Amino acid sequence: MTTHNKRRTLRNLMLGMALALPAFAGVASGKDPELLNVSYDPTRELYAEVNKAFAADWKAQTGETLTIRASHGGSGKQARSVIDGLEADVVTLALSADIDVLATNGKLLPANWQARLPHNSSPYTSTIVFLVRKGNPKGIKDWGDLAKPGIGVITPNPKTSGGARWNYLAAWAWASKEYRDGDKVLAYLTRLFKNVPVLDTGARGSTTTFVERGIGDVLLAWENEALLTLNDPDTRSKFEIVVPSISIKAEPPVTWVDKNVAKHGTRKQAEAYLRFLYSAKGQQLAAKHFYRPSEPDKVPAALLAQFPEVSQVTIDGAFGGWKKTQAEHFGDGGFFDRIYKP
Amino acid sequence: MSFRRTLLAFAIGLAVLPAHAADPHDPTTKELLARIAALEARLATVEGRPEVPQVAEVDQRLRVVERKQELQVEADAAKVATASTVSLDAGKGLSVKAPGGLEVKLRGLVQADHRNFVDGSSQNDSFLFRRIRPILEGTWGPLVGFRLTPEFAGDSATIVDAYVDLKFDPRATVRIGKVKGPVGLERLQSGSATAFVERGFPTELAPNRDLGAQLQGDVFGGVLNYTVGVYNGTVDGRDAVTSNPDDEFEYAGRLFWEPFKNGDGNLGTLGIGVAASLGDTFGAGNNFLPRYRTPGQEQFFGYGSNIAANGERLRKTMHGYYYRGSLGLLGEWITSSQDVQVVSGAGAGTRAKLENEAWQVVAGWVLTGEDAGFRGVVKPASPFTIGKEGWGALELVGRYGELDIDDAAFPLFTSRVASANAARSWGFGVNWYLTQNFKLVTNYTQASFDGGAAVGADREDEKAFFTRAQLSF
Repeated sequence: MTTHNKRRTLRNLMLGMALALPAFAGVASGKDPELLNVSYDPTRELYAEVNKAFAADWKAQTGETLTIRASHGGSGKQARSVIDGLEADVVTLALSADIDVLATNGKLLPANWQARLPHNSSPYTSTIVFLVRKGNPKGIKDWGDLAKPGIGVITPNPKTSGGARWNYLAAWAWASKEYRDGDKVLAYLTRLFKNVPVLDTGARGSTTTFVERGIGDVLLAWENEALLTLNDPDTRSKFEIVVPSISIKAEPPVTWVDKNVAKHGTRKQAEAYLRFLYSAKGQQLAAKHFYRPSEPDKVPAALLAQFPEVSQVTIDGAFGGWKKTQAEHFGDGGFFDRIYKP
Repeated sequence: MSFRRTLLAFAIGLAVLPAHAADPHDPTTKELLARIAALEARLATVEGRPEVPQVAEVDQRLRVVERKQELQVEADAAKVATASTVSLDAGKGLSVKAPGGLEVKLRGLVQADHRNFVDGSSQNDSFLFRRIRPILEGTWGPLVGFRLTPEFAGDSATIVDAYVDLKFDPRATVRIGKVKGPVGLERLQSGSATAFVERGFPTELAPNRDLGAQLQGDVFGGVLNYTVGVYNGTVDGRDAVTSNPDDEFEYAGRLFWEPFKNGDGNLGTLGIGVAASLGDTFGAGNNFLPRYRTPGQEQFFGYGSNIAANGERLRKTMHGYYYRGSLGLLGEWITSSQDVQVVSGAGAGTRAKLENEAWQVVAGWVLTGEDAGFRGVVKPASPFTIGKEGWGALELVGRYGELDIDDAAFPLFTSRVASANAARSWGFGVNWYLTQNFKLVTNYTQASFDGGAAVGADREDEKAFFTRAQLSF
């Protein structure tokens, strides 16, 4: 080999190494892993505590420092943000329909995502109750009262809020049982939504409207949101909860977003984070923040006692599942469009 | 009833007016509520109705209006946060921004020069456009950045910069394309910010823009900047040709230390760097062997036509700058060695490693008190304004530099008549920054030479008087 050729071989070796540098650049940056949890409106307090607890747990288990960031907003709006490019590692939304669109429209996760975790991927549930002003001055007792003239009902917009869809469906379930006539059910819901003076985009916004801005006589609320309001020393003396004769079992599901965790290299952390929600610690944190644990045997009875007995229909039993419900009620031209015209 | 509603709507309308036109004499919401209640009571009396709407009912309606306004403001803010924006800024040019880290900026640089050679130079006095460069740059999300700079000042359009950045981290960015090599300090300074119209001797020995890939970043809190890269390789002082002419690559690296970067500025801005490039090159002609120019851009050194590059080209440099207040200092030393061979004629087959050396010191003082810096005077404190007091910023600059050719180059590798053995140059100038975007420059430079003329004489001194009008944004 001539000197020239030897030199060329050495240089080409150096060239190869130099070209390989970009591949290592990401590694060289040495960033600690991060998870982004895109969630719905009222879970702020729950996940603030879950994130801390899991990060500590994960550090103890693996030695890895994990940063968990959370984004909150109306469930439907959050789902659209993820489809539009918000790179959520996990989504913890208000209803499975909002995660289904990530699979169907966004192709971000498999269609069978709900079978990957126990209890249809819902580690906790909730239901819909009424929050009324102290002393219940308008005498609101059940769903029928909400459609009476002069009652101000506060609920978010079902087009953007998962909680609002549960509210609407709970009202529909009561009306179906009460009237057993489709036209009457539609007329009832039309009257109810005429009593809604402000349609917020999310459940937390509606709570602000009712609690802080003093608008309306009754807030249709997630049970956890209502209990949170009563737990606040500043507001507990001003409100009380009315449990309707019938409500709906709201099952907020969770899952990891396959495409994003593959891109970020966070699949392992994301799955462990969600499985943590099913652990005794996770279930107790859910109950502490007023969510009904899906595995109540892991939670002390004293924590469970805060949840009142309420008759609940399910989305599958009463409405044939979210896919059907979404199309019939909340799709363009669906029942909600017939009921509510801004 | 409808009259009553009209009155109520009118009253609510009055209540929301302060949001649009806050006047301290406007009634408060409470006062309006009281008025509405009074009106409702009077109306009920007129209509003969016994019942009067409760203040609470009106209060609810007002609260709803206010809440709807609040939600509208939130929705508008959210819309703004997700909408694309177009802005035009004197410093940043035209910018189009969209959510997700998308930004495209259009900037520009135009330099119109007049060059006057006092006596003895073979160059013509001339008006010329030195640079006409629209600069398109931006980011395409958090990972990707880019820059594309065409040059329209020459006889034909060329591409000056064309690269893509992959910004993995401030500590590690990969830049691919046509870029300025990392060797020369004054070369790395923007053409719009150099103290003199033309750069000094060290830049003649440093590579100009080259094609390749480099990894760069700031480490240790940003005080140490590094660049390592691999390039096609280019001759001293010139751009690389469009493709690799000899199947050889050149490797370059630089470390630049700015110890006071994170300080409070009292110690000024100090930067000290070392850089080197190494590569083989084989071939004869301008794509392989350098030609060195005077500050007036006239060639005073070049290899003979029977000489070829035949192996290693190594450049080593140390450089630095110091800026504090109105004072600016920049210094640079560089050597460039090249294995060469006589390929025909007398001494055919003779090989040598020739090492040329250059250095310079540039000093500046901003008379009007603005801070000097590597980017020049960024913004005059009192921009020039017709009919008003502002006169812009005025900077005095001076430079001294030398370029020394390896004695072994003579007479076999170049002619003593065609090439000088050494050159020295001094110069001074005034930079008048009328505004942030417009600068007038006047330079005088004088260069003297050892050799470079017939019968062992020295090449005649070059006395060049350059002026420039520069628009940059």
